Amino acid sequence: MPLLRARALCKTYGTVQAVRGVNFRLDENSYVTLLGPSGCGKTSILRMIGGFEEVSSGLLELDGAKLNDVAASARPVNTVFQSYALFPHLSVLENVGFGLRYKGVGRAAIREKARAALETVQMGAMADRRPRQLSGGQQQRVALARAIVNEPRLLLLDEPLSALDRRMRKDMQIELKDLQRRLKMTFLHVTHDQEEAFALSDRIVVMRDGIIEQQGAPDAIYRRPETAYVADFIGGAACVPGRIASQAAEGYRIETALGQFAAPGVAGLRPGAEAVLCLRPEQLRIDPEGPIAARVTHVVYRGAEWLVELEAAGVALALTTAHDAIPEIGADLRLGFDPAQVWIARAETGEAAQ
Amino acid sequence: MSARVGTYLAAPVMAFLIALCVTPLLILFAYSFFRVDFVAISYDPSFANYAKIAGSATYRGLILKAFGSGALVAAITAVIGYPVAWFIAKRAGAMKSALLTLLLVPLYSGDLVRVFAWRVLLGAEGVINRSLIWAGVTDAPIQGLLFSPLATHIALTYNYLPFMVIGLWLAFESLDDAWLEAAADLGAKGPSRFARVVLPLTSPGLIAGGLMVFVMVVGDYLTPQLLGGASGITVISAINDLFGTAFDWPLGSAIAWTMLAILMAFFALGAVLIRRSSLVGGA
Repeated sequence: MPLLRARALCKTYGTVQAVRGVNFRLDENSYVTLLGPSGCGKTSILRMIGGFEEVSSGLLELDGAKLNDVAASARPVNTVFQSYALFPHLSVLENVGFGLRYKGVGRAAIREKARAALETVQMGAMADRRPRQLSGGQQQRVALARAIVNEPRLLLLDEPLSALDRRMRKDMQIELKDLQRRLKMTFLHVTHDQEEAFALSDRIVVMRDGIIEQQGAPDAIYRRPETAYVADFIGGAACVPGRIASQAAEGYRIETALGQFAAPGVAGLRPGAEAVLCLRPEQLRIDPEGPIAARVTHVVYRGAEWLVELEAAGVALALTTAHDAIPEIGADLRLGFDPAQVWIARAETGEAAQ
Repeated sequence: MSARVGTYLAAPVMAFLIALCVTPLLILFAYSFFRVDFVAISYDPSFANYAKIAGSATYRGLILKAFGSGALVAAITAVIGYPVAWFIAKRAGAMKSALLTLLLVPLYSGDLVRVFAWRVLLGAEGVINRSLIWAGVTDAPIQGLLFSPLATHIALTYNYLPFMVIGLWLAFESLDDAWLEAAADLGAKGPSRFARVVLPLTSPGLIAGGLMVFVMVVGDYLTPQLLGGASGITVISAINDLFGTAFDWPLGSAIAWTMLAILMAFFALGAVLIRRSSLVGGA
C-alpha cells in the first residue's frame, strides 16, 4: 500500500484552476520531488497535503484513510516552510520542542528529544539562541529539526533551499538526502530547480499548468521524456517538430525540417502523428560529414565548456563544446548526432502520463 | 554640524513643551507639599497631603476605583478587540481601509454627543427599555441601565475600543500567517495556537492598546459624571471639587500627582514588557 495517494485532486481559487485533477502516489521511505515552474500548482498540492488549503475536489489518502477533512493539527505530516516560519519569541530549543507537547511527551523528554533533533542537523550549539540570531542556513536546519522531531509519516518541504546561496544549497541537498536515508521517512519536496530534483529524488513528478506532465525515476525522466515540454524543461533539449513517418526497428522514423531520422521514442506514437525529435546540447557535435547544416548565432562561455547556439532550417539548436574548438558567430557548420542516443517525444503536452 | 542645527531647530518646540506642559505640572507638584490655612495657602512644605491621601479610605477607594475601571475596560476592549483586529488585518481584504475609517468615525463626534447618545439608548424612556417593554420581556423599564456603573462602563468601552483595536490591528499586520500554519502543522489546535503564538506575538499591540485605554479611562471625567448617577463620583471629579469648590489646591495637587506617579509606573512596566517580548530589538 502506498503511503499517500492523490486521486483526481483539484484546487480552484475563485475561477483559477491551480491544480486540475492530478493522480500520484508516494511510497514509504522515498524522496519525491514535485518539479515545475512557479504557478504550476506544485505548492498548492503540498499545502493541500499539509492541511493549509482545502481540497476543492478529488481524494487524498494517507495510509489508506481519507485525509481531505482531517485538520492540519491532526495530520501525521510536518512541513518545512519556505520562509522557515520559526517562532521569533521562542528559543531554538523551544521551537524544536513546540510540537512534542501535543504528542503527550513529558517536559524533560521534550528537551531531550529536541536536543537530539538539533544534533541531527548539527545545530546543538545554537539551542539557546533566538531564530533572528541565526543565518538563513541555520534557520533552515532548525526548521528541519522542528519538523522531523515529531517523527511524521510524511515530511513536506516547500522550496526549502530557495533562499540559500548556491554553495549552501549544494551542501544542504546532500544533507537532506542523507537525512532521508537515515530516518527512513518519506520526503515530499517542492522545487522549480531540476538540478535539485535530480540530486535528491527517487522519483520526480513534473508539473505544468496544474497537471502532471510525467512522473518517474530521475533517469527515466531525463532519458525518456514523454513530452516536448519535459524534454525542454528537464534536459534543455531542442525539440525539432516533425511527423512520424513509420515505425522502425530502433523505434520510429521521423520526418523533420532537418531531414528524416530513425530514433527510439515514447511508446504509442502512430505513423502520421505529430512528434518532436529531442536533441540535447551534449548529444549534438560538430561533424563535417553530419546530416544537418547550421549557422552559429551565439557563443556563450560557461566555464567548463562553451555553449554554441545555432540555427538550422528555422530550428534553434545548441551544442556544448570544449575550449579548443570554438566556432565563430555566423560560421556555417555541419552537425551530427548518434540517433540511438536521442529521443522522440510527443509534441502535445498533456495529462499524458498516468 | 547638521546635528547642531537640528538641536537649534528643535529648541522652540522644547521651550514650548517646557513652558506649557512641564511647568504647570511642576507647579502642581510644588503645591502638593503646601497646605491650606483657612482661605490662604500656607507655603511651608510637608508631606501632610500625601499622608492624608494614604490615611483616607475615601481617597484610597476612589483611586482604586479609577484604576479598577481602567483595568476592567482595558480587559473588555481586549476581548472584543482581538477578533475585530484579526478580522480587519487578515480577512477584510479590500474593505480594510473602509473598516478602519468606520472604527474612527465615532471619535470625530464630540465626547458629549456620544455620552448623550448612550442616554438616549439606555434611559428609562430609551430605545432599549422601550423595545424590551414592547417585546414583553419586562413590564416596567429597567432603571439600572442608566445612571449606574453598568452604563458608565458600557460607554467607556465604546469610547475607547478603537484605541485597543488600532493597537492590536498593527500587531496583527506584522503577524505572519506562516507562524499560525506552522503551529497547526506541529499539532496545536485553535486555543493553543492563540495562547502560544498569537498572544505572545501580538503582545506589544495589546500592551500599547491596553495602556492607552487604561490611561484614558482613568482620566475620563465626563462619562461617569453624566452616565454614572450616584456612582459617578470619581477621583477626577474629586480633584475637580478640591480645586474648584473646596479651594484645597494642595490636596488636589497631591492626588493628581499620586495618580500621575502610578500611571508613569504602569507606562514604565509596559515599556519593559514590550522590550522583553523580543519582538522589538532582540539580538
